[in-house]
Amino acid sequence: MRRTSLALILLILASGTLTAQGRGGQAGPQTARTAAPIDMTGYWVAIISEDWRWRMITPSRGDFPSIPINLAAQKLAEAWDPAKDEAAGEQCKAYGAPGLMRGPTRLHITWLDDSTMKLETDYGMQTRLFEFGAASRGAAKPSWQGTSVAQWVMAGGGRGRGAAGGARFGSMKSVTTNLRPGYLRKNGVPYSEKTSFTEYWDLLTETNGDQYLVDTNVVNDPVYLQLPWMTAIHFKKEKDGSKWNPEPCDARF
Amino acid sequence: MQSITPTDHRDTETQRNTFLWYWASLTVRPLTVLGAILMTVMPAFAQVDLTGSYQTRMYEDYIERGPGEFMGNYTGMPLTDDGRAKALLYTSNLPSTYERQCLPQSAGVFQYRPVGFRIWSEMAEDGSVLAWVIGGDNLRNDIRIWMDGRPHPSPNALHLAGGFATGKWEGDTLTARVTHLKTAWIRRGVGIPASDLTTITMHLTRREDLLTITTIQEDAYYLSEPHVVSRVWQWNPRGTEADRPICNTANEIPTLEDTGAVPHYLPGQNPEEDYMIRTFNVPKEAAMGYAETLYPEYRKKLKSIYKLPADCIARAPGYCCGWIETQGRPGGAPNLTCNDGGFGTLGPRGRRTATEK
Repeated sequence: MRRTSLALILLILASGTLTAQGRGGQAGPQTARTAAPIDMTGYWVAIISEDWRWRMITPSRGDFPSIPINLAAQKLAEAWDPAKDEAAGEQCKAYGAPGLMRGPTRLHITWLDDSTMKLETDYGMQTRLFEFGAASRGAAKPSWQGTSVAQWVMAGGGRGRGAAGGARFGSMKSVTTNLRPGYLRKNGVPYSEKTSFTEYWDLLTETNGDQYLVDTNVVNDPVYLQLPWMTAIHFKKEKDGSKWNPEPCDARF
Repeated sequence: MQSITPTDHRDTETQRNTFLWYWASLTVRPLTVLGAILMTVMPAFAQVDLTGSYQTRMYEDYIERGPGEFMGNYTGMPLTDDGRAKALLYTSNLPSTYERQCLPQSAGVFQYRPVGFRIWSEMAEDGSVLAWVIGGDNLRNDIRIWMDGRPHPSPNALHLAGGFATGKWEGDTLTARVTHLKTAWIRRGVGIPASDLTTITMHLTRREDLLTITTIQEDAYYLSEPHVVSRVWQWNPRGTEADRPICNTANEIPTLEDTGAVPHYLPGQNPEEDYMIRTFNVPKEAAMGYAETLYPEYRKKLKSIYKLPADCIARAPGYCCGWIETQGRPGGAPNLTCNDGGFGTLGPRGRRTATEK
């Protein structure tokens, strides 16, 4: 009897383990792609329903409410000169990851390989790679999109199970560092190379089938921020890429 | 459970009973262990404890949530013609009338309010969560999210400022559907209306000390498409958010009670209709909340016509400070030296009035 009970326990535990290893208990080694509890791939459009005046158009110099900057950042922002950025070849300063995600952009998310998710934007034509696991593409020079390390966060404390008929739930967490100094807002509100950009990506599905990708993010910058700057940005799923319209960086608009 | 061994042979009945107890003992103990294991590896569906006080962070829609939005600013809104027309009737002294004091306190408006809230659970007799409740002085009625599967009542049932809400867990996200709301505003201080047929889907996701709330509001009368708002709130272990089911009058002019007047602008006579146009060079269709202005392709229309407005510091009111560090109260961002829009100049030592040396 004891053996029977023990076998029962092991059987149930094994069953749960298989469920956690992939969709439908697929055989073979688990990859980030097969382990994904949510499908973020596809085309997404930012809905600029918040902070419209600061996100859709370039605000005036000194118009930086809501960002917890310090005095050093204020002085830099008040000296913002897009012509200087253009002359220095830095017209993409507002398109670094922490600023870009609040921009009026579409996202195109695909899998580059089994452990790397690719996020492209038509606004500024930027590409960011999310690397899962310990694998790294090696030390890289600081860039506008930096180095993003990602992991799946399974719902329910690690198993990705939800309430509805075995459906899988979870989110993606990413931390981006190795950033080239840029702007949090188009009008020259700075972030430094010491910035870390943490994001939590949630997929929300409505009863009518609409899907939203919500990017809850925290910008930590010990150089120019007095406190972490935390916001949530939402994108709506589009059926295809017919509205995808790449345009290069623009320091002025 | 006490262990019983099969050494007692007093009679057959006793022997049989003893055997059953022994069998039960062998079976129940592993099952108890099994249950304990399952509780750790297969968590219940209400995976996340939302209980606590949450503080707003004034990092999104700061002007609206802090000092108050510019009149005639409906940017970011997908308004119908009716919604736009009704919003343009609004004047700042409308909330001075008793009947309209509660319009800014509703399940829809709380994402635009400057103060925090509390969440707690109400338990059923069996220990399950019967309802999650969101309360705070930004809400006239608590939002009570029923988790027991009850249906929404008849459309003719009582409508409350907190509405009637049912919820379910989708992974670690609590999704609630709110109906039966009273007529209220969608955003505070500019008169953007919601009807009593409005519905809101709320998604609450807590991780570490952050709570993300995404609301998707629909209104057949006043919204041309769903209005989506996502906000981050921060858990505050020292939070003392009041749960006061009363309205904050927040009169900005002498009250108008007993005068019989309903403050309003007649159609076409709102002097602030073009405020955003003349102050920020925002095109009229954006300022007036046309849905097309919410999407990136609209920006391309602006590129050839948009002119950068004057520097913020030279504009009045400026509201050029970095942020308000104290929720809901005019207060300076520490150590900044910016103009906060007429409240006074802020310096390293704090606020000074405009006339103070």
